[in-house]
Amino acid sequence: MTEEEAAKTIFNGLKAAGINLVATLPDINLAQLLQQVEADPDVIHVPLCREEEGIGICAGAYLVGKKCAAIMQNGGFFNSNNAIVTTLLQYQIPLLLLIYYAGDIGDRTFSTSGSMTEPVLQALGIRHYVMREPADAPELIKRAQILTEDSRRPVALLLTKELLGRRASLKSL
Amino acid sequence: MKCEAQMKRFDCLRTIAVAAADALVVTSAGAVTLEWNALRPGDGNFRVRTLGLCSSIALGMALGLPYRKVIALDGDGSLLMNLCSLPTLARMRPKNLVHIVFDNGVYEASGGKKTATATGTDLVGIARAAGIAQARWAHCEDEFGTIVTEALNGQELFFIGAKVTTERTKVPPYPIDEVENKYRFIRHVEKTENVAILKTNLPASYT
Repeated sequence: MTEEEAAKTIFNGLKAAGINLVATLPDINLAQLLQQVEADPDVIHVPLCREEEGIGICAGAYLVGKKCAAIMQNGGFFNSNNAIVTTLLQYQIPLLLLIYYAGDIGDRTFSTSGSMTEPVLQALGIRHYVMREPADAPELIKRAQILTEDSRRPVALLLTKELLGRRASLKSL
Repeated sequence: MKCEAQMKRFDCLRTIAVAAADALVVTSAGAVTLEWNALRPGDGNFRVRTLGLCSSIALGMALGLPYRKVIALDGDGSLLMNLCSLPTLARMRPKNLVHIVFDNGVYEASGGKKTATATGTDLVGIARAAGIAQARWAHCEDEFGTIVTEALNGQELFFIGAKVTTERTKVPPYPIDEVENKYRFIRHVEKTENVAILKTNLPASYT
């Protein structure tokens, strides 16, 4: 899949799962996906200055009936930890977190972030899934949305370069 | 407007309670939650535990329910921790949101150390510079009441700053925990907006 096709597939998956408010902060690897979010008039798009405020915005919107997703880099996930703990987990509020997996195997520059991402998610008790195949994205997003609503906890989907159509996928990964 | 005496937060809250009608109200971490709930108890109040997140949670509510007034009752220490919520408020410009900040110059719930507003930081100035056109200081109670009434009757994003004393009013403790607060708040929205938010699924054996 091209980058644009992958972005469309992921975004259509979000819409099919009922997501109607999306808070975002850019990463170059997320540019096409954010373009899809921005272009859709039926989805409220909230561009953020810092990811932690997005956790609050999504929590508030959930309380009045919206289905929300937050899209960010893993650096933004680290920025958001106090809000995730003392708002989402403490109040048992669901949220779909779509986190670009900077520092994933073969991804330059943020290998330290990459090595901390899954351990921190695990420490917080946030169930997480690494996404590598764009064609699977709609079904995986649907399942993750069911899990977050049902468990009343955030669920994290880690978005890799191959998921986003930015490098070839490997059969064994 | 000339001011005879410094404002007390509790008196300002009383003014808001009279004018708030059915507005959803988000209160910042700290004593403002207890004082507000003593004045206007009810399930349309949501208490924030994450310092800083009051303005952001209120923004999410305002975007989700664009025809319902939402009031954020924030503090200086809280807003200073999440100043980037102001450009985001300005960018989204929800016309149903009234953001009120009680500025007492101290981290009141954390031992009374001074915040940056005590050394000159101007929160209304920051809000205006962030792009919120209706950002004003209320200098005394009369002026506070006038601006709050204008904001609640208007159709525009408002940011209202009020310099208040550090005085706390003795009120009962907040009676419910976070999860009960969440459920009561959602049920209140369901009832007053006539919508279904929390749906219970049938067990798998029934589907």
